[in-house]
Amino acid sequence: MGSTLGPMWYTYVSHPDTAPDYKNPPTFDPMLGFPNGRKEKTIKATREELDKANIPLDKRDYCVDYFLAFVKCRQEHFPRVSKYCSQQRHAWEHCENKDEIMRVKEWERERRLKERSKRIACKENREEMAE
Amino acid sequence: MATLRKAIFLLARQKRLNLFQKEANLSTTSRCAAAYWNKDWKPGPIPRTAEERAAAAKKYGLRPEDYNVLSEDTIGDYPGLPLVAKSWKDPFEDYDFPGEKRNYGEPIHPDDDIIGQDLWDPNADGRYTYGQVVTFVFLIFGGFLAAWKILAPYPHFLPQMPKQYPFNDLYLEKGGDPALEPEIKHYTFEPADEESVD
Repeated sequence: MGSTLGPMWYTYVSHPDTAPDYKNPPTFDPMLGFPNGRKEKTIKATREELDKANIPLDKRDYCVDYFLAFVKCRQEHFPRVSKYCSQQRHAWEHCENKDEIMRVKEWERERRLKERSKRIACKENREEMAE
Repeated sequence: MATLRKAIFLLARQKRLNLFQKEANLSTTSRCAAAYWNKDWKPGPIPRTAEERAAAAKKYGLRPEDYNVLSEDTIGDYPGLPLVAKSWKDPFEDYDFPGEKRNYGEPIHPDDDIIGQDLWDPNADGRYTYGQVVTFVFLIFGGFLAAWKILAPYPHFLPQMPKQYPFNDLYLEKGGDPALEPEIKHYTFEPADEESVD
């Protein structure tokens, strides 16, 4: 059913108990199932740099380095932004796209872990009933 | 060359040059000569006597028994014609103006501009009663309203977790208390000991 109606059907109709809460951050331990650990998301820019460049808050995400480079290029080459800064802009948009894919992966991870914990709980319940 | 000579010969045999008209489309009425300029097309005064009525009927290309004057003063002696929609006219008839479904010299209704092929069809009026129309309107818009009310607790969303921000989800930037700043870390899906392939 596509990437939109499928999750909505899952959340509202078929599996409301194991559906992830898309309005809040993930609830499980981020290292669960990663024996080698996970790489931490970092940015190179500091708070002072961002304040100095007057970057708006909604742009201060994990792609802000690319956005900062694009803003600097834009200030340097305005108004011929599309000629000189399309590389920077593309890099920034590519980073945003990857970030969004990571959010989708987090949703799927949360969903699978919820189903897993439900399976484990059911199994324990059955064993208790058998005893 | 022979074809050209024959064509010129055939043209010369014509009494009148009707190069762009079919023979069947030629009208026998004299309406074209009756009017020369816009003022000649203006309707005359309302006819009172039988002779005036006959003259007015002839002016509009109607039989005197078909001629029925409108009561409105502004239209003068213009005939009152039946309001027949264009879509009700036979599409296979050999009209002089097929697009308008009209023959040459045929009088047109005063409200001809609102009964075009895809416009108002007065012959189709009365299909639904007034109550039915009101019911349908309320059903359609009530359906939209009901769908809106029923689906309100189930908002549309994309399968994504909330966006992650650096600096502990911008705790200080959003006006948090510096003494209570939590430490929030976010992770990619790559193993920690592997180089990034971005």
